[in-house]
This record gives sequence, structure tokens and C-alpha cells, in this order.
Amino acid sequence: MSRLEAKKPSLCKSEPLTNERVRATLCVLKGILTSSYGPSGRLKQVHNGLGGCVCTTSQSSALLSNLPVTHPILKILTTSMQNHVSCFSDCGLFMAILCCNLIENVQRLGLTPTTVIKLNQHLLRLCTSYLKSESCACRVLVDFSSPQRLLCLVRSIVTSKPACMLTREETDHISALVLRAFLLTIPENAKDRLILGKSIIVPLKGQRVLDSTVFPGILIEVSEVQLMKILPIKKSDAFKVALFCASLSGDLSDTGDGTVVVSSGVSLENAVLEQLLNLGRQLVSDHVDLVMCQKVIHPSLKQFLSVHRVIAVDRVGVALMEPLSKVTGTQPIGSLGSISPSSYGSVKDLCPAKFGFKHFLHLIPNEATICSLLLCNRNDTAWDELKLTCQTALHVLQLTIKEPYVLLGGGCTETHLAAYIRHKTCNEPESILKDDGCTQTELQLITEAFCSALESVAGSLEHDGGEVLTDMKYGHFWSAQAESPSVVHWPDLLSRCGCGLHNSQEELRWSFLKTTQHPFAPQTCLPHEATGSANNLTLDCFTAKLSGLQVAVETANLILDLSYIIEDKN
Amino acid sequence: MVMACRIINKRRHMGLQQLSSFAGTGRTFLGPLKSSKFIVDAECHESVLISSTVRLLESLDLTSAVGQLLNEAVQAQNNTYRTGTSTLLFLIGAWSSAAEECLHLGVPISLVVSVMSEGLNSCIEEVASLQVPVHNVFDHIDSTETFPGLETFSVSLCPFLQIPSDTGLQKERDLKDVASPSLTIYNLSGIPVKSSKLFRPQAEVEADKNKVQNPQTLKNSLLAGNRYRKSVLIHSRHFNRTDNNQWINKQDGFLEQHGAAPPSTYRCNDFVELEMGLSHGDQSSMKLVDEAVRLQCQNAGMQQGNWTMPFGFDISRIFTCRLPGVPETFSCVCPGFITVVSISNTTMIKELQNQPNRIILIEGDLTENYRHPGFNKATNINTLLESMKVQQDSSEELWTNYVLQVLIKFNVNLVLVQGNVSEHLIEKCIHSKRLVLGSVHSSVMQAFAEASGAVQVTYITQVNENCVGNGVSVAFWRSIPSDVIDRINIITIVIKTEGINLVTVVLTSPVTAQMQSKEDRFWTCAYRLYYALKEQKVFLGGGAVEFLCLSHLQTLAEQSLSKRNHVCSGWLHNTSSWLASSLALYRSTVLKCLANGWHKYLSALIYNTASCSSEFEASTVIQQHLQNATDSGSPSSYILNEYSKLNSGIFNSGISNKLEQIPRVYDVVIPKIEAWRRALDLVLLVLQTDSEIITGLGHTQLNSQETEGFLFL
Repeated sequence: MSRLEAKKPSLCKSEPLTNERVRATLCVLKGILTSSYGPSGRLKQVHNGLGGCVCTTSQSSALLSNLPVTHPILKILTTSMQNHVSCFSDCGLFMAILCCNLIENVQRLGLTPTTVIKLNQHLLRLCTSYLKSESCACRVLVDFSSPQRLLCLVRSIVTSKPACMLTREETDHISALVLRAFLLTIPENAKDRLILGKSIIVPLKGQRVLDSTVFPGILIEVSEVQLMKILPIKKSDAFKVALFCASLSGDLSDTGDGTVVVSSGVSLENAVLEQLLNLGRQLVSDHVDLVMCQKVIHPSLKQFLSVHRVIAVDRVGVALMEPLSKVTGTQPIGSLGSISPSSYGSVKDLCPAKFGFKHFLHLIPNEATICSLLLCNRNDTAWDELKLTCQTALHVLQLTIKEPYVLLGGGCTETHLAAYIRHKTCNEPESILKDDGCTQTELQLITEAFCSALESVAGSLEHDGGEVLTDMKYGHFWSAQAESPSVVHWPDLLSRCGCGLHNSQEELRWSFLKTTQHPFAPQTCLPHEATGSANNLTLDCFTAKLSGLQVAVETANLILDLSYIIEDKN
Repeated sequence: MVMACRIINKRRHMGLQQLSSFAGTGRTFLGPLKSSKFIVDAECHESVLISSTVRLLESLDLTSAVGQLLNEAVQAQNNTYRTGTSTLLFLIGAWSSAAEECLHLGVPISLVVSVMSEGLNSCIEEVASLQVPVHNVFDHIDSTETFPGLETFSVSLCPFLQIPSDTGLQKERDLKDVASPSLTIYNLSGIPVKSSKLFRPQAEVEADKNKVQNPQTLKNSLLAGNRYRKSVLIHSRHFNRTDNNQWINKQDGFLEQHGAAPPSTYRCNDFVELEMGLSHGDQSSMKLVDEAVRLQCQNAGMQQGNWTMPFGFDISRIFTCRLPGVPETFSCVCPGFITVVSISNTTMIKELQNQPNRIILIEGDLTENYRHPGFNKATNINTLLESMKVQQDSSEELWTNYVLQVLIKFNVNLVLVQGNVSEHLIEKCIHSKRLVLGSVHSSVMQAFAEASGAVQVTYITQVNENCVGNGVSVAFWRSIPSDVIDRINIITIVIKTEGINLVTVVLTSPVTAQMQSKEDRFWTCAYRLYYALKEQKVFLGGGAVEFLCLSHLQTLAEQSLSKRNHVCSGWLHNTSSWLASSLALYRSTVLKCLANGWHKYLSALIYNTASCSSEFEASTVIQQHLQNATDSGSPSSYILNEYSKLNSGIFNSGISNKLEQIPRVYDVVIPKIEAWRRALDLVLLVLQTDSEIITGLGHTQLNSQETEGFLFL
């Protein structure tokens, strides 16, 4: 007997942003994000409360990947942040904080969403065209002939993740390793198209950070017993390689639903094993030297191969398959049938290696654009954070090779951009107003909301109760100790701006970021020699930050535009 | 699904407080004299006796986030180095209080982090001056000098080990201890723990007995005096005080002969001296390690004919065999693989023992249903029985017969299996005079593979002539008198082959509850020696490095006070922040708090070794030495000087009895430094954490008291 249940009506809520609870949760989320931002950001312990592993982090990707949020508005925000991070790795917190700031600032104004959205888009366009223009004073060209600037970029990323728990020496070591790992992925003689290789991160937990290293080629972890069986490896100029993605464990491939009936005396297992051994015979007659399998190889097949002096390595894992196939030039073999000779590839050399308590087989390819970054850190939670950080840094370097620019970091880009926008809308409002039908007041209000949203992202870098300032010449970001005596000689109290480009001894005037800013024209066109000399700049990824800015404004616009939430309660 | 978030860093830092309370539970494990603990489960009334940090944390409920991080850190240290966990736990406690103190004093968190981590870095650089190179210690290992630890009855198997005959007093005490039925804490096994702490309290009895000529001599004697710590005896009901006094009397004979020898270049070339120094008072364990190394060394020498290759201590080829219920004195070390088998095997072993046997090695289980890992057995296959034929035997029976056939075909009498073995098969094999042993450790398998030429296989079907090893001997192991062994109803056998690189350490204890900690202590000593030899350097131990850290940090703190304007912004990652410029303001405060952590460590160490009646007294002693070190101008040479005074006593004494030497105390370098770093890392990680995010919880799953302080998203 079936029972029909009446459907529940959908729930419809209007003006979701005016809801007190929504505002409160948005505020909590913003609190979590802002308190994690920057090199002195506070860490969060994320765990499931039931004894699962504890993740200590301040990175957006780790933070949000295990955060199930309930409200649709929060979901929009976290989803767009995750999308941004999956494409660009960096600047996730920047994006989310800016988005929260924009929503908060605009809500206070009480303007109609259409006006807000239109003006926000205008301001965004102003920002992007300025950042892409030659006159932009917070953008620096990257010179690939010297590693200095790239190293600064990597170091800025590494230092902005305090949960990695690195000392200065360790930070330098890791930064240099990441850069070297990246350089090893660039092919030596690229013609018209540059195809980057890959850096594989190999875990070695529990060891000292300074024991981390980078190798060209691939490290495959093997057990000691297995390695003993492989050794000694005969010397050869090149090793012929076969790579299997199919399991060679000898189990029956999917037998489907229902039951299979076999008569007694027939052993399916033996039949499969016989097939495997046939495969082994073919490998031997094809003079293969090294057989690798993503999954498990049947012990009998392994024994057969080792009797015929063929090295067999199994449980390589899915992550290594693509690089292995690329490096050796093999086609991963997916069936136990006969193998086409074109599937085979080769490696130049093979040797055993030992790091810590782990044993590895080191594959040295003919043409190397693949390298292994052996990463050590003292405890699991710091290792996870360091791994994520290195991946981010490697990704950022790839983005930088596509668009060879970096932005000044440490909050300077944000304050400079805010100063530029303020100045622009104050002096040339006509260009925006003429086709939008907005009043000058509206423009003024939105500009202020937009700029102060940008500035408070920069202000979020400060977590220890210091004052944040901006200078009236370059529009850079400065921080000072709080509760300084009212009459102070600023140049003595301040040292350098956030990105490290300017120092306080230049004749500058400062104002607090909290106070109302008077528009001024920040100096544009960064002189080349200014950045050339400074070798310890804080830098941000250009592509990631630009995208973060766009995603933030667009997501804020989307959320501000919501007038109904309709929930299906069934 | 709801995420809850809690701000844990308002006013008081909950995380740091949790850390220091967790760490407080392990403070008695610091130093050579560890007091054991009973942990009792209130529900099922089971209890465990523990005497190490790792076992303690295994028994504690550490489900909170901070507790888990703490456990993770201790486990990581233990898995990597097997030593230094007590130091780690103590320093976590001491430095989390230090960090909290800094917060109370209003130091910004980022500054605490950078100054503390750079302060520790600076300490690590500083203590490099107390490293002692370890070179060529094996050059004289075959000379007669042996480790003067507990005498055991296994000397017959180790003929080159000449136990000094004049250990009367020693032996007497050990036997007393062995005979004691109670849970006398093993560390107090009557050996005056010789891990002489560097810094001594005043002990009047010595001062009186020494004819004090000048203050210098007085200090010397005080420093040396504590090696017969009288408080050792306070803990034990089984030692009488007269024994102790004898020691004192013997002692002061040479104490007076101390000369003000110039500090010589420190170097450790003597193996026994190194072992003594690393034993940290646990001489019975270190003696076993010593014998194991000598056996390995001898074996390596035989393999290579002479000493062409430098000998390296291979810890992976040492295996422990536990024999609970056997008196402690029977602990010993023997070449080959010693294991316990049930008494039903007796006749079979008798058959096997007079012949060379053939062996196979099975990697997985030896059961019918076992398949290698990664093999997925299809569940939906039915075997159709042929119409009328009646199945005679079960498939198990068929399989067992097949295995036996293989064994007969290749004439194999001995099967070592890493996993489980089918009971039925074992029985059948007993009948056909074949020995099958399950649950054999992988290092044992590897050693037999190397020595006998056998190749490890997964399935019995894989066995062919090439997989079979030769020349393995099986014999009863009768180093323990039969009346003792018969009482516990087991038989012990030894399996070995010519030149096998495997040493079994037989650990015995009359009390089963002590077995685990006895094994733990053995491995701790073994790994200490292993790392010392691997790194070819050791620290001067007994608190010397920690003392130098303390004194170094105090000097740094004072320097930064006097040089307020000195810019030291290089310490921060983020040099442009205001924190960099205000660093000088807080630097000395933070360094002092960090130094307090060392101070606490040293006083707990001294208090635990029972050389002071209170931690306050210990603290005074440290203060006194700090003052002396500062006055001397160079703390590290002050420490070296104190050490050489300590040692000159040995060289001038002319007393031949090895047991009466005051050995230097040594400590491993990298494991120790890593323990410091791990401790500070954890504290700083928790310090920087401001909220705890719990995922996947509904409102209902948090009870009402806990809900307070949680925000829901």
C-alpha cells in the first residue's frame, strides 16, 4: 500500500539581507576571514568534534573546504570564493573579505540595488583598466632573467601562511626550493609553445624542514622489502618501461549483479593468473626492464618478472600516473590483452634512494620537466599547511609566467587603488555620470563605500591593535603602534610601507585610514629604478589579485541584488 | 550540517591553559629517575602501569582539539626518534605558561611568536659549543673493556663478554631487587644512577667528610658527590642504608684528589664511556644494548674477514623477545632468532635440532582464504558441484594437504610466516615434523632471507627451488634454567644460520605489567646510541645544554634591555610592520619568559633526580650556578670547566673498579633539538589560534553548557 504525502509549500523570504540573523552570520563569517588574513593572521582549528584530525590553518582553501554553511547567501559567497581559489590558488581571503566589506558598506547607504550595482561595476572597470595600464604605480614587471623578484613573490606567499611554522631560515630555504622546483618544470628548448612540466610534492613528515629538497625526475615510494628484491639494478643506457593503469592483482574484473555459476574444478582465479602470466611473458619477450602499475601486481607475476630480471613496482597511485606517462613517454595500459609496442616508453636511469625512514625508487627521465619536491615538516598539521602553501606558490609562478607582472603587496595596492579611485571620481565624475543617470551624490557615496571597503581589507592585515595609515604621496599602506603620543614625529615611528618600497625618511605626510580621506592624486608610473634597487619587497600575484577583485565586486553585486529566497522544503 | 565556531582567545587563552594542564601530567617522567604511574579505568577497573610519556598519552582521553595536536606532536617525535618525548611534553607545558605570561604582560602575539622562535634558534646555535665529537668508538670495541652494567647469566653464549669479577655489591643488590615480589620501581634497581647532574645541591654529609681545603675543592666534591644520591634509597624498601654509606666511604677517597685540571678538548672515543653517558642511569637496558652492538660488530667482523668496512650499528636487525614471569636477571642478548613455542612442539624440535634445515618465508598469512592486499574477492561466484560425486574433503583439507605436499617436495622443515597461520596446518605439520611459526617480525624475515638465501613469497604456490633457504639450525634455547622455564609452561627455541645478521634481546621480568615499559626502555637506550653513532656527535648531558640555553637567554635579555634603540627588525618576517620597530620594547620580556621555561625544566629535573627536597631548593641551586656562570664571563667554558673537574676525578683516582667511575652524561643532539623545536612550534601554533571551528555538528549535538560561546553559521 502506498501512501501519498502532500507536498509542503515552498518557503519564500523577501529582502534576505535585512534579516537580522543573516547579518549576524555574515558578520561571524567575516570575523573568521579577516582574523585569518595576512602574515600575522590568527589561526583556526578546524575539526569535526568527534576526534577527527585537527587542521590548523589560516588559508581560505583549507578553511572553507570543510565548512558547510547553511544560509544561501553565505553559500553564494563561499562558493564563489572556492571557485576563485580553485582557478588561482591565491587571494581567496582578499576576495571574500572585500566582498563582505562591500555588502556591509553599501547596505548602510540605503540606495537602490540597481544604482549600486551599476556604479560598482563602473568603479571595478576603473580599477581593472588602471591596473592593466602602463601608468599603474602598484604593478611591477617581472624580469625572468633574475630570480630576485620571483623569490620575493614566493617568499611573500610563504610568509603569509603562519600555520606553516617556519623560521626565517626555513622560509628562505622553502622559497628557494619552490622556485627551483618551478624552474625545473620549464623545458629547456621551447619553440613556439611553452608546455610546463609538473612538480610533484612527496611527503616526508616528521623530519626537519631544512631537510626538504628538490630532485629532477620522479620519486616512487617503495617498501624496504620490495626494494631489496629489486636491487641490484643492472646498469643500462635506457630502461624500457611499461605502465599499467589496470589492476594486475589477479582479481576478477567486475562480475556485475547476480551470481556467476562455475562448475567445480574450474578456478577463475587460476584462469586470471594464467592470463597475467601470459602478459608477463609478453613483457619479457618485448625486453621491458621496468613495469609499473598504478594498483597492485599479483605476487606470482612479480615473482615471474623478477626471475626474468624485470623490475616491478606496484601501488604507484593515481597521482603519479600522469607525470609518469609524460616523463617516460608511455601510454598507460588498461587491459590484460596484448600490448601494442607503441605503449612502451623509457627512462634514462633508475636508482634507489633513502630519505628519513622512507625508501624510494628514483626515476631519471631523458628530458626532464618533472621534478619531485620532497617536503618535510615537524608535525602533520603544519605539513598539510606547508604543502598547500607550496602548491599555491607553484601555481602563482605559473600564472606569473603567463602575465609577467606582480602587484605590490602588504596592503599597498589596496590603499593606492582606493586613493586613485577617489581622485578619479572626484575630478572626472562626468565620464561615469553621463551614461548612467545617477546623481553626483550617489556616485560620491558609492565611491566612498567602495574605497573604504578596499582600505579595510588592507587594514585587516593588522591584528595586534596597531594604527593603520596611508601616505598622501604614493597612497601606500603603513602601520604604527597604537596609542602613540599625540604629537609624534611620524618618520621616526614608522619604518617602511607595507610592501617595503618606500621608507619613512622620504618627506611624506600621513593620515589615518579610519578618518575621512581627502582625495589626492597618488603618484602614478612607478619609476623602474625604484623597484630595481629594493630587494625585499612584499609582492602579490597579479592575475590572482585582479581576478579576486572582480569576483568580489561581482559576488557582492549578486548578493545585493537578491530580493527573494525561495526554499523547497520537500 | 551546521558549523560552530568558538572564539577561544578572549581574555585568557584556553588553548594554552589546556596545553599546560595536559603537559603537567608528565612532569615526573623528566630525567633519569622516572616515577611510574598507575592509570585506572574507573569503569572497568583495569589498570596499566606506565612510565613513559608515550604510554601516558596513549591512556589519556585527548579528544579535544588541543589534546589531539599535543598527541600528534608527541607521536611524531616518538615515531621519528623514539626519544625526547618527556622533554617535549615538559617544555610544551613550560612554554605555554611562558607564552601566557607574555600575553598578560601585553606583548602582541606576533612578537611573542617571532622573539620566542628566534630566541630558541639562538639557543640552538649557542649549544653547538657543548657538542662532543664521537669518532672511531668501535676501534677498541673488541678489547676487554665491557659495559659494567647488570651481570646476567647469559655469559656462556657471549664468551667475549668478561664481566668484572668484583661486582659483589652490585650483584647482591640486583638479586635483592629481582627477588622482591612487589612492584619496586625498576629504575631504582639498586644501581646508583650515575647520570651525574651537573648542578648539585649542598649535601652536608659529603662536605663534612671532605677535608675542605679551599672553596674550589668543596665545589668539586659537591658536584661529584651526587652520584650516589641517597634519595634513591628513599623510594625503595629493599635497600638498606649501610650499602649506601659504603659507597660514600669509597667515594671520598678520590674526591679529595681533584686537581684543577684545565678543560681538555672534549672528545668521546671510548665506546663504553659513550654508552655509560647515554644510559641516563638505566644501565641494565644499556648493558643489553651494549651486548647487542658487540654481537653485531663481531658478526660484521666475521662476515668481512677483517675490519675493512667501517662498522655501523644496524638497529633494524635487533629483535626483542619478551619472557614475562622470568626473573629479571635472565635478560640477555643472543645471536639468531629466539622465540617462544608451545610445549607441544617439543618432540618435533628434538628431531629438527641435529640437522641443517631448509626454510621458506611467507610474507602474508598462511591460510586458505588469504589473498594479497589489493585483491578483491568476488562475492557472487557459486561453485556448482558435479552431479553425483560426493565431496570427500573440505576445501580447507585439500589446501592443507597441498601445502604439505609442497613442503615435502622441497624438503622444507621450517616455515616462517609474517601473518597468521591456519591452526589446522600447524597441527598437521607437527605430525610430519615441520615447524611453522606465525607472526614473525619483518626484520627477522629479512635477516633470514639474506642469510639463508630464501626469497620471501606471498603464496605457497609460488615456492620453487630458488625460494628455499638452506642450513638453518633449530635448537632449544636453554640459557634459562629449566626449573624456571618449566614453571611458566613454555619452551624457548633459537633459530639461526651461519652469519645471520640478527640479534635477539630477551627481556624478562617477573611482573607482566612491567614488560612493556622494560621493552620501551630498552629501545630508548638503543635509539639513543643509534643516533649518537649516526650523527657522530653527542651533547654534554645532565642539564648542561639546558643550563647554557638558560644563561644565554638571560644574557640576550639583558643585552636587549641595555640596547633599547638597537634595531633588530631582522627577527620578524614582516619587516615593514610597526611590530618590527617596537620589537626592542618587548624583546627582553619575551626572552625572560622563554628562559623561565628552561629554569622550570632544570628545577624539575633536579627535583626529580631527588637531589633536592623541593623545587624551590633546586631553583636556588640553579640561581647560584647562573651567577657563577655570568661572573665567569663565558658560560660555556664555565660548564666545560665544571665537567672536566668532574672527570679529572676518574683519571686521578687510580681506582680500578669500573663501577666506581663517574661517567660523563651524554645526550643525543638532533632528537633533543627537534624536541625543543616541536615543543615551541606547538605552543606557538596554539598561541596564534583564536578560534575553534567544529564542522558537521547540529545545534542539538552540543549540550547546553557547551553552546555558550559558540556561534553558528
